[in-house]
Amino acid sequence: MVKVPLTTDASYLIRQLPAPTAFIDTNYNIIQTSDKWTSIFNENEDYASSKSLFAVFPNLSNKWKLVLNNCFKGNPQPMGIHQTIDSNGKEIWFEWVNTPWYDTHENIIGAIIQLSNITEAVNNELELNKKNLFLQQQAEITKIGRWEFNIADNQLYWCSTTKAIHGVSKDFEPNIESALFYYKEGHSRNTISMALYEAQNNGKSWSNVKLQIVTANGKTKWVMAGGKPIFNKGAIVGLIGTFQDIHEQVIADIKTIDNEKLLRTLIDNLPVNVYVKDTESKKVLANKAECEYLGVNDPKDILGKTDFELYAYEAAVKSRKEDVMVMKTLRPVIGKETVKKTLDGKETSFLSSKIPLLNSKGIAYGIVGISLDITTLKEKEKELRNIINIASVQNKKLLNFAHIVSHNLRSHSANFSMLLGFLESEKDEDEKKNIVDMLSKASNNLLETLDNLNQVVSINTNTNIAVKKINLYDKVTEACQNLSALISNSSCEIENNIPVNFILKSVPAYLDSILTNFISNAVKYRHPDRKSHVILDVEKKGGYSILTIKDNGLGIDLEKYGDKLFGMYKTFHNHKDARGIGLYLTKNQIDAMSGKVEVSSVVEQGTEFKIFFNEKN
Amino acid sequence: MKKISDITIIDDDAITVFGLRKLISSSVDCTSIESYDNGKIALDAMTDFHDNGKQIPQIIFLDINMPIMDGWEFLEAFIKIPIQDKIRINIVTSSIDPFDLNQYEKYKNKSHHLITFNQKPIDRNKITEITKVA
Repeated sequence: MVKVPLTTDASYLIRQLPAPTAFIDTNYNIIQTSDKWTSIFNENEDYASSKSLFAVFPNLSNKWKLVLNNCFKGNPQPMGIHQTIDSNGKEIWFEWVNTPWYDTHENIIGAIIQLSNITEAVNNELELNKKNLFLQQQAEITKIGRWEFNIADNQLYWCSTTKAIHGVSKDFEPNIESALFYYKEGHSRNTISMALYEAQNNGKSWSNVKLQIVTANGKTKWVMAGGKPIFNKGAIVGLIGTFQDIHEQVIADIKTIDNEKLLRTLIDNLPVNVYVKDTESKKVLANKAECEYLGVNDPKDILGKTDFELYAYEAAVKSRKEDVMVMKTLRPVIGKETVKKTLDGKETSFLSSKIPLLNSKGIAYGIVGISLDITTLKEKEKELRNIINIASVQNKKLLNFAHIVSHNLRSHSANFSMLLGFLESEKDEDEKKNIVDMLSKASNNLLETLDNLNQVVSINTNTNIAVKKINLYDKVTEACQNLSALISNSSCEIENNIPVNFILKSVPAYLDSILTNFISNAVKYRHPDRKSHVILDVEKKGGYSILTIKDNGLGIDLEKYGDKLFGMYKTFHNHKDARGIGLYLTKNQIDAMSGKVEVSSVVEQGTEFKIFFNEKN
Repeated sequence: MKKISDITIIDDDAITVFGLRKLISSSVDCTSIESYDNGKIALDAMTDFHDNGKQIPQIIFLDINMPIMDGWEFLEAFIKIPIQDKIRINIVTSSIDPFDLNQYEKYKNKSHHLITFNQKPIDRNKITEITKVA
């Protein structure tokens, strides 16, 4: 219970005042307080009558003293806001007002101080300030400005960031008409006008609209605008929105898109296959050439697929191994010749490179592959090599032929000069006649040699010899008829296993010569101890008609004579008719028709010739 | 001039054999001149002489291009026969093939026999020169 010097009634009244109230005397001593005051400061009963105001509020300023002094003189002034700590240690804010305290004689005997707790208001204000500051900072950092439009008084507010984006000074005062005018004429201005209209009339908000403005200093800028209506009791009272400078971003985006387009155009139009694979060797990028090679129109059809889904198994295993190696060692494979086989069995030669793709930590996250299709090049190379081979074989043949010609002519001319030398000094008539006989023999030999050489030359020079379709069976029968004397004299059996209607391609005269030579050789070199048996067969294989002529004759030691078998003037058997020209000529004829001849033989058992007639002729 | 016992000609060309015989008999003093149609017949004869202790001809005229067994094949086999005497082997050829010259170089150093390489035609002077005993 509070003890007061006043009447009990008055004291009781004061205690019940709803606001925290204190009565002080002119010595700043607290005389009487309301219960509210007491409950806030939790004063005990003793202090109330004795405590000076400044003892209760030790941190009260001198300003207070002045204000209270003035109050004692009858000039009350507001004392302002004060912060203090309540009995629970909580921060509280008060607004102080004072009035002079008059006694019944209208003398000032002190002052009445009344507090109103404004803690909440202060806190709200602080919070608002904080929020404003925060918004401002956010606006500065993110370059997102704010704006507000009040419909009732047609007022437009721009925050400093919004102003900065527009390129106007801080004290610029915008209005809705000029604001619209900053938008670039055409699409941008039309869009924002529509958005404003829709917001004001239909309550629709807009966001993330990319538009262009022309700033106060004439610069065209990309901005992102958003806005929404504000309602009060169901009616639209205004609009608020954001305004963001996204110029650099848009320009960067445009640049990025341009760069991407450039890269894509480059990649797609390079005459090489380009792809990117991830660590699992799944394709994540493929250019047009790669798509075409894999037989798809859309890269989507191969993206995400591994080599095992695109190539033949073996090729895929090899490729995957290589990918892993490149990603593991980080060492690229450059310009390696590889042959790839797709699932449909198509084989392609590539000059391929694989380069590891590294992330910021230097670890590979995939590979870039670049492959140049060199299939046609390889084919050309093969062709060229073939031509070189043919040329070198031809060259060898020519040189060999030159030596043969030189040797043969020289040996005959040496004989002539020797015989003529004898003739000059010979006295004996019989011997002279003998020498002249020799001379005529030498002359015949020379003529025969020239004839042989002539045949060889004509085979090798007639490159455009007419190849015709010939019935082989008929030709064999014909050749056997021509050789009938030889065959019947040797009581030899010829077995013609060639189908009656078998057709092969050959120069007719060459075929005659080939058949005659091989058949007569087979008969000539028969084994003296057994009946001669010659078998002729034919088959089509690998682009050739292959004629097989097999005998059971003497056979040839191929290890000894193999390389000389088709040489000129080479004979291997002591046979009176052997001239060493037949096989040489036939070999030339077969070569001239792009054919070949193979021989296998066992001495004392027999020989088998396989003559390949080229079907492409 | 020292008398030469036996001269052998190995050549398949009858005219050359005739010529060589004529040249040799008119310019060299020798007991006999034998001739063989190819290397094989000649080699068989030489082997036979050696096996039966008969005299191997002191001088051999050897053609290169011959059927069955050519001059080089004959030479290869001949130098393997263990003949103590130094035999003179005159290669007589019309070949200008470098292969043949290479072969000659090879055999010249491979054997203790005297081997010479002679281009046709052979005249009387040449014959005198190359029929001296090795």
